[in-house]
Amino acid sequence: MNLLIQTIGSLAAILALAGLAWWLKLGGTPRLASEADVSRAANEVEDGFCPVATVCDADGTAAIARDAGGRIMIIRRHGNRFAGRVLGPAASARFDGARLIVDPGEARFGAVALDLADAQAWAGAINRVSDTDDA
Amino acid sequence: MPDLNPTQYAVPLFVIAVLAEMIWAKLRAPEAYEPKDTLVSLSFGLGSTVAGALLGGFAVSLMLFAYEWRVVDFGPEWWAVWWAWPLCFVLDDLKYYWVHRAGHRIRWMWAAHVNHHSSQHYNLSTALRQTWTGPFTFGVLFAIPLVLLGFHPVMIAICGGFNLIYQFWIHTEAIKRMPGWFEAVMNTPSHHRVHHATNPRYLDTNYAGVFIVWDKLFGTFTPEVDDEKIRYGIVKQLGSFNLLWSVFHEWIGMIGDIWSAPWKHKLSYLLREPGWSHDGSRETSDMIRAKWLARQDAVAPPATSVADQNRIAGTQEAA
Repeated sequence: MNLLIQTIGSLAAILALAGLAWWLKLGGTPRLASEADVSRAANEVEDGFCPVATVCDADGTAAIARDAGGRIMIIRRHGNRFAGRVLGPAASARFDGARLIVDPGEARFGAVALDLADAQAWAGAINRVSDTDDA
Repeated sequence: MPDLNPTQYAVPLFVIAVLAEMIWAKLRAPEAYEPKDTLVSLSFGLGSTVAGALLGGFAVSLMLFAYEWRVVDFGPEWWAVWWAWPLCFVLDDLKYYWVHRAGHRIRWMWAAHVNHHSSQHYNLSTALRQTWTGPFTFGVLFAIPLVLLGFHPVMIAICGGFNLIYQFWIHTEAIKRMPGWFEAVMNTPSHHRVHHATNPRYLDTNYAGVFIVWDKLFGTFTPEVDDEKIRYGIVKQLGSFNLLWSVFHEWIGMIGDIWSAPWKHKLSYLLREPGWSHDGSRETSDMIRAKWLARQDAVAPPATSVADQNRIAGTQEAA
């Protein structure tokens, strides 16, 4: 009974604090708007990842980067930080209308939708990664 | 016998402190908090309390069993032996150092401890991001030597509670440095930011609970440097605010690896360090740091000591 009361009290405090963080507008919405932004985020995803080609989603919430070794990384906003994955054999790229859907093949990370210039070329490059690894 | 659960009494203090830090964040660093991250962290805290109450029975039973074989007997009123309390607190903190170090260097233990590190933020709510699955590890074994020394399990639990309360306030970016003497002896926000960082120079360092001296003694201390921004979280960020995935992802990954590994490697996926793989396809923290160090060496300028710059006798024979 005591545990139940404590649990209910704690739950109320948790919801109040999370609600307060939301009400105070804490967090913010950082954007990936330049090559420098993407390089910084890519290096955070994997230390030492040095992009030679990058492309940003039109609204700045996601990006793709390729390093000199041909490895491709998908980056997306996660809360007010960024998270990403270096694409492997399970990855794929497809189109949903004009938007490129990059699926790193990891259910919990999820697919990332991007509105890109030169999307066709990036889709081809991503699908070649999985084709090469499958071979 | 004392009936005291210090963390239970500290909960209102935790709430007030988080509230105060949020106001600080609003004024100085709004990016320090993220509402969904805060919700997950605080839910971890609540779930941890419930899981401890439901699953902690085995650990308590084991410690009470071991207590029957104690070497020193503090008597039937062991709680009245005043000097046993500070001694127990210090030894429990030493135990914490080792159980925490194991929590980072043994994947089985990491599967339970990773929860505390999976936020990409570092604030007081992160401190409450405590494990739900600790009872499924062998962490309790680290306390057995203390029990065999004669410290009653209740005394150890109370000291452990105060240890946990101490560690709450160090999960903040609002405090840069404490006075020098304090930084030298105690765990501080600066030392613990290093522990939560994924920057290669900081990986798997500063395991201390209350006294940073253990890290200095056992060679795992790294000071915070001012000219490098700290990145928080885990090497492979979750990218998800799903609470249950956050709780169980490493267990699921580890069990999957054990299942699919060749027989001779199965145990290694349980007992070796996180990131280890039998085919070298992944990276441990040591490998990440080694690669980072190699990159630093590659870009480091050539030696420029006065002796190197003034090699006027370089080709001459000594007189």
